Amino acid sequence: MTLDFSVILDNWQLFASGLWMTLVVALLSIAAGFLLAIPVAIMALSHRRWLRTIAGAYVEWFRNIPFIVVLYIFFYGLPFMGLRLPEPVVGGIALAFYASTYFSEVIRGAVLAVPKGQLEAARAVGMSYFMGMREVVAPQTLRLLLPPSTNTAISMIKETSVLSTITVAEITYQGLVVQGATFAPFEVFLTTAALYWLITSAFAHGMHRVERAAGAAQGSQQARHSLADKYLQLGMRRNK
Amino acid sequence: MDFDLVAFGDAFPRLLPAALTNLTIALVAMTLALIGGTVLTVLRTTGIGLLTGAIGVLISFIRGTPILVQIFLFYYGLPALGLDLTPIQAGVLAIALNSSIFITEIMRGGLSGMDPGPVEAAIALGVRARTIWTRVILPQLYIRILPPLVNELTTIVKGTALLSVITVVEVLRTAQQIANTTFRPLEALLAAAIVLFALNLAISQLGRRLETRFAARRG
Repeated sequence: MTLDFSVILDNWQLFASGLWMTLVVALLSIAAGFLLAIPVAIMALSHRRWLRTIAGAYVEWFRNIPFIVVLYIFFYGLPFMGLRLPEPVVGGIALAFYASTYFSEVIRGAVLAVPKGQLEAARAVGMSYFMGMREVVAPQTLRLLLPPSTNTAISMIKETSVLSTITVAEITYQGLVVQGATFAPFEVFLTTAALYWLITSAFAHGMHRVERAAGAAQGSQQARHSLADKYLQLGMRRNK
Repeated sequence: MDFDLVAFGDAFPRLLPAALTNLTIALVAMTLALIGGTVLTVLRTTGIGLLTGAIGVLISFIRGTPILVQIFLFYYGLPALGLDLTPIQAGVLAIALNSSIFITEIMRGGLSGMDPGPVEAAIALGVRARTIWTRVILPQLYIRILPPLVNELTTIVKGTALLSVITVVEVLRTAQQIANTTFRPLEALLAAAIVLFALNLAISQLGRRLETRFAARRG
C-alpha cells in the first residue's frame, strides 16, 4: 500500500486543536507538578523521620504504578468525593501529582549535591534553616536542576497522551478520531507521533540553550586510548 | 457514596492471576529489548556514518514520542501495511522496541564510564572484535548497568498497563471488567494499583538483591 497523507491535510484543524490542548495541559501540569514537588522535597530532606517517611511513601507509591492507573483513580475518585470537573482539568491534576513525585526526587538530588558546608556556613553566620536554604542553597541548585528537570518534563509531555483515554481532546485523542474516520492508521499515528516529536525536540532544544546560558559546565571527558575509544565511546550525537 | 471494602477485597482474586499476564508480557518484552539494545549498541560503534545516523534518528524518534502512540502505530498501523498481529503481539513488539532504545542509551552510559584497560589489553593481544565484545565488554557492562536495567523493567511493567487500551486483558482491563459488573470502579482500580505496585516493588527488591550478589562476586 502507499501512504496517503492527504487525510492529514483534510483534518488539520483537529490536529491543530489537539496540539494546542496538549501544550496547555502539559505546561500547566508540569508547572503545578514542580510547585507541588517543592514541599515534598523539603519533607524528604527533613531531619524528622516521620516527615521523610510520608514523603518517601508518597513518592514510592506514585513512581511504582503506571500513570494510566493514577489517571483512572483520579477520574473515578474525584467524583466519588463530590468533585465534578471537566476531563482536561482532571487529567491535569492527575499528571501534576504524578509529575510532583519525579520532580521532588530531582530537587532532592540537586539539594544533596550542594556541599553541606554551604548550609552550615549560612547557619554559622546567623541565618535560619529556611533562610540558608533559600538564600544560599537554592541558587546553587538551579544549575543542577535544569538537565534532570528537562528530562522529567519531557516524560510528562509524553504522558499527556494517556489523557486520550479519558477523552481529553489532545493530540492522541484527535489521532484516534481521525483514524476512526479515515481508516488510515499508519499516516495518522505517524503524524501524531511527529507532532509529539516536534514538541519534545523543541522543548529539549530550548532547555539546552537555557542550560548553556545558565553556565552548566560539561563534565570533562576521561582521557583514553583512541583504539579503546572505538569501543567505549558512543557519544557521536546528543540525544536529549 | 462510601468506599465498599467488600468490593475492594473481592477484586484481588481476579486481579492477581491477571498480574501474571503483565509479568509475562514484561519479561518477554525485556528479553527482546535486551537483545535489541545490545545489537544497537554494537552497531553504533561500527562508525558507519549512515548506520549510526539512522540509529540516531530512531533513538530520537522513540525517545521523543509517547509509548502509547508507538503502541497504536504497531496495533493499528502494521495491519494496514499487511502485517497482522494480535493485540498482545503488537503490544510486546511496541514495548520491546521502545525499551531497546532506552537500553542502548543505558549501555552507552555504562560504556563511557568503563575502565579502558581490559579493552586496550585485548586489542594489544590481537583479540578479534567479536570476542572483545562477547568476552571483555558485555559481561562487565551487563553487571555494571544492572541497577538501571531493573529500573527499566519496572518501567516496562508500567507500560504493560497501557496495553489495556488495545484490549489486552491484563490487570487494568480486568479491573475495568470487574467495575462493569459491580459498578464500583474506584475500588477495583485501587486494588489494581496495589497489585501493580506490589509487582514493581518485588522487582526492585529482587534487583537490589542481585546487585549485592554481583557486587560481592566482583569483590
